[in-house]
Amino acid sequence: MNYLWHMLIFISLYSLLSMSLNLVVGYAGLLSLCHAAFYGLGAYSTALLMTRSGWGFFPALLAAMVITALLSSIIAVPSLRLRGDFFVLATLGFQVIVFSLLYNWDNFTNGSYGITGIANPVLFGWSVDTPFRYFLLAGTISVVGLGLMRALALSPFGRVLKAIRENEVAAVALGKNVALLKIVVFAVAAAFAAVSGGIFAAYTQYIDPTSFMLSEALFILSIVIIGGAGNQVGPLIGTVLLVTLPEMLRFLRMPDAIASSLRQVIYGAAIVLLMRFRPQGIQGDYKFD
Amino acid sequence: MFQQLLINAISVGCLYALMAVGFALIYNTSRIFHVAHGAVYTITGYLCYFFLLRLHWGTAVAVVMSILCSAILGAIIEIVIYAPLARKKAPLTVCLLSSVGLYIALSNIVVMIFGSDTKLLRPDIEKVYHFSGIVLTRIQLCQVVVSVCLIGLTLLVLRYTNLGRKMRAVRDNPTLTIIMGVNQRQVRLAVFALGSALAGTAAVLAALDVGVDPNMGMPALLTAAVALIVGGVGSFEGAAVGGLTLGLLQALVIWRISARWTDALTFTVLVLFLLCRPRGLFGIHRRLEEETT
Repeated sequence: MNYLWHMLIFISLYSLLSMSLNLVVGYAGLLSLCHAAFYGLGAYSTALLMTRSGWGFFPALLAAMVITALLSSIIAVPSLRLRGDFFVLATLGFQVIVFSLLYNWDNFTNGSYGITGIANPVLFGWSVDTPFRYFLLAGTISVVGLGLMRALALSPFGRVLKAIRENEVAAVALGKNVALLKIVVFAVAAAFAAVSGGIFAAYTQYIDPTSFMLSEALFILSIVIIGGAGNQVGPLIGTVLLVTLPEMLRFLRMPDAIASSLRQVIYGAAIVLLMRFRPQGIQGDYKFD
Repeated sequence: MFQQLLINAISVGCLYALMAVGFALIYNTSRIFHVAHGAVYTITGYLCYFFLLRLHWGTAVAVVMSILCSAILGAIIEIVIYAPLARKKAPLTVCLLSSVGLYIALSNIVVMIFGSDTKLLRPDIEKVYHFSGIVLTRIQLCQVVVSVCLIGLTLLVLRYTNLGRKMRAVRDNPTLTIIMGVNQRQVRLAVFALGSALAGTAAVLAALDVGVDPNMGMPALLTAAVALIVGGVGSFEGAAVGGLTLGLLQALVIWRISARWTDALTFTVLVLFLLCRPRGLFGIHRRLEEETT
């Protein structure tokens, strides 16, 4: 049974990650390759606040959201002047720099050894210590988070983002503050990625930088692309498919070493095929034009 | 000590330059951000390993064959992946994303076949030359000589041959070039084959020195992309200068701070250039409206 809760926890975490990336990629049309950096910043902020400063899980998680949202503006503000490939490359640079900091700044992040001994969250005396309780926690937070993001996406804010995606010049001409909107959407997406990272840190109780590498950013982006960007359904489909894919391969009696590569071969090939025949993904609205 | 570091920096920088010129050939003409260039790099390294240690071919034969294979692989990628997308007039983001997908798939196929550990191509100790206190290994000498020759040759081809003139024409204005009756598909095929061969050469030279691992392609590709930006989009010579500059800067960081911060440095340089001088050192200044054609 614990196995099922474990899967559901990861589906909750990745649905938060993919839906928040969807706000940036699918709604605002900004192809971002640094979502794993926000995920990692959230995980590290939560873990460091809990282990070094002795904060509780929930205050630490809230603080992590704020910290990550603020840090996201480091990349968002300068990137506003860049277009197309240059923007992608800048976000990629941010991703690599954040990973490099997590990996090499030994005194602060403990480098490649990672952070151990992250305590279980405690809510009004109720300790979250079994996989089922973690599932309740992760599920509740992600449902609330998805609800908030849905409200945001369907609000006028979401419509303006779509307008920027379709024609930025027209949006500017209509008097929309495009720069500010882009910064805000980046900050919101980063904050929700940080929530996912914080829960991940508490659940695994041990984090190290290799969970937040470029390959992870590519994985989250693959979820959004394969599921389909620009609406409220596509990324969820992608999450369920891609998170459960290794488990399906396990049922085919694949050895673990091959299964993890085979999974990546499958989703890499899926992206190539989708881009050729169905660029909007399985159930998406945005064709990356 | 400083001279020794300088020599090492130049040999590393030459490889970066080689990879960057290959990437620039493809990017400047097709405008495709060819992430799978990194996969071509990895696969060529592994092909060289396969030819040398599994098939026991001689070094020269193995090297030439793997570079030839890289050119063929590049051409196949253009024919199978990008050309159909170009015929559909797919947006460049779609090309970029399918290139990312291709990179993920290809580099993991390498993992499935060869495993994910680092493999050395030559277990014996490298022959070294001494020049007044400076130690230079034979492979480093090869890296410098081969890179300089190939980059020079590529630039000559671009400047003086008919094919090179067509490549530059496609870079400057693809639409007009088609109107003038240049077969754009052929030019693109040539560009992909040539660019991939340059990446393959860099891969083989690096593989003979430090061995191969399945993730070697991504850092090489990223450095090439940064070198392209530093040198200036649109300029082939600029990419070579950019690669060399990055090699030298990295050596400076290794000397003054620590080898761990080279990645962070590369991308700090990238971000600084994107912000302060987006057209790079030698880039052709284009207005936004021109980019769409």
